[in-house]
Amino acid sequence: MMFLATFHWGWLLATLLLGFAMGWIAVVHRGHGVSKPMAGWLAVLVAALLAAALARVVPGRPGYWLDLGLLMLALYLIGCAIGSWLRNRVLPGPAGAS
Amino acid sequence: MRGLIRWSSKWWPGTIPLAVLWALAAWTSAPSLETELAGRSTAALKGILLDKSRIAVSGRDVTLAADAFSEEGRRHAVAAIEAVPGVRLVNDETRLIPEATPFVWSAERDVVRVTLTGSSPLPASKGKLLEAARADLGGVEVVDQTGLSRGAPPNFDEAALLLLDQVARLKDGKVAISDTKVSLSGMARELGGREAIAAALKNLPAGFSVASNEIKAPPYIFQANKDPVAQTLTLTGNVPDNNVRAAIVAAAGRKFFLEKVVDNLKTSLGAPSGFANAVVPALGALSRLSTGTLVVADREVKLSGDALYDVASGQLRASLTKELPQGWQLKADISVKPAAAPVDATVCQQLFSEVLAKGTIRFESGRSSLDPDSAGLLDRLVEIALRCPSANIEVAGHTDADGDNATNQTLSEKRAQAVVDYLVKPGLPASRFSAIGYGSTQPVAANDTDDGKARNRRIELVVKEQP
Repeated sequence: MMFLATFHWGWLLATLLLGFAMGWIAVVHRGHGVSKPMAGWLAVLVAALLAAALARVVPGRPGYWLDLGLLMLALYLIGCAIGSWLRNRVLPGPAGAS
Repeated sequence: MRGLIRWSSKWWPGTIPLAVLWALAAWTSAPSLETELAGRSTAALKGILLDKSRIAVSGRDVTLAADAFSEEGRRHAVAAIEAVPGVRLVNDETRLIPEATPFVWSAERDVVRVTLTGSSPLPASKGKLLEAARADLGGVEVVDQTGLSRGAPPNFDEAALLLLDQVARLKDGKVAISDTKVSLSGMARELGGREAIAAALKNLPAGFSVASNEIKAPPYIFQANKDPVAQTLTLTGNVPDNNVRAAIVAAAGRKFFLEKVVDNLKTSLGAPSGFANAVVPALGALSRLSTGTLVVADREVKLSGDALYDVASGQLRASLTKELPQGWQLKADISVKPAAAPVDATVCQQLFSEVLAKGTIRFESGRSSLDPDSAGLLDRLVEIALRCPSANIEVAGHTDADGDNATNQTLSEKRAQAVVDYLVKPGLPASRFSAIGYGSTQPVAANDTDDGKARNRRIELVVKEQP
């Protein structure tokens, strides 16, 4: 993992920033969110992919792509969480209070 | 926290650019990542002994194909690659090189090249042996057809290097190692090469033994040529050492009273056993020929030439056959010199005197038996006697003044008789010869020095016209 992080630091940083931006926007976003059952299914899918990656069952390049995708997804989610949390802190008004 | 869950339901639109980013990253980074991992894996294998190693990287998975020389080396190689940062999986396609039983290695030399075949345990020893072969056999083409196998005996390299040194001593042949057994065959390049190889094999590393050593030596040749015109006896070829050489030259000096001995001999190892015991009597036989050549090759004695008279040919053949040591063979090709024209008594006397002035008939010390060394001289006297059909010949024996007169008288008579006996053997009528002993009564020199005494001990032939 450390190797991937150092090798792909540019891409990962971009992912983190993308997540940060998305998280920043999400707080004030008025569109539809993902429904709860859908979120459940997505979580199951990610868990399955994570299990496949840890078990190293996908060979060769697809296996590498899976690892890279999951790593980017994780960083994206971290970026989103930081972005949303910061926006919530700096945002005055009822949204910030909630 | 609840807020985070609420907001997270709205994070999904970012996954679309995320997917694009992922696709781009995956697409562009894969080749460079694979190159990087291949480089690191190759570096990790450095110092681990493998043959034909190939590394293929797909994503983060490394496929290692190689021939390993031991199970341990194989595990070691896989572990080294697994330890490379970034490598996810190692597909182990290594295999052990085949085990050779028996483990055979050989070097064969023919006219133009040396061919190495069989197995080497490691690439390093294969290289070392090839290099050593090239160094040992300067100029000779070396072809390496050895493969790599497991199962070499300990100290294989040392044994193979020692054998390669021996190949340099061969004209042609083969050296081979089969497990710990060493076998050699072929022909040594030089005399003594066979012995040098046998000596070197004593230094084989512990555990190795010689199963067969069938190195042959080139023929061991000694030659003697009697040339009556130049009056020389030329000795060429090989003798085992300087003592034998001195003995042979001294024997030749005694047996060839007329010829000058030219010594062109050289000392070489590898003489057949009984060499001196065969060469000395063979020289004796040669001394009885008018002209001739003696060739001793290994244990075969070839004598060719012209005997001085008919009976001598058979005599010398028979006596040489008897005198040669066990296991030696005689090939005699002896013709008889055509008889010379008869001469009258005066010329006959002159011829006898000339011959006896150059050589002395020798007897065993204090006895009346003829010394075999004098056979050549006696044959010469027979030859002259055969040319004087009209003469009566008186054989006179003389001694020095040592000892009492009666003994000397008897000895001189017996010695004269022994000479007469020799002279009549070819068929000359005994009635024409008379043996007379004079004891020490007719000295030709003073009896007070060894030289003088030696001159007084003599046989004289006096020719008398038939009445």
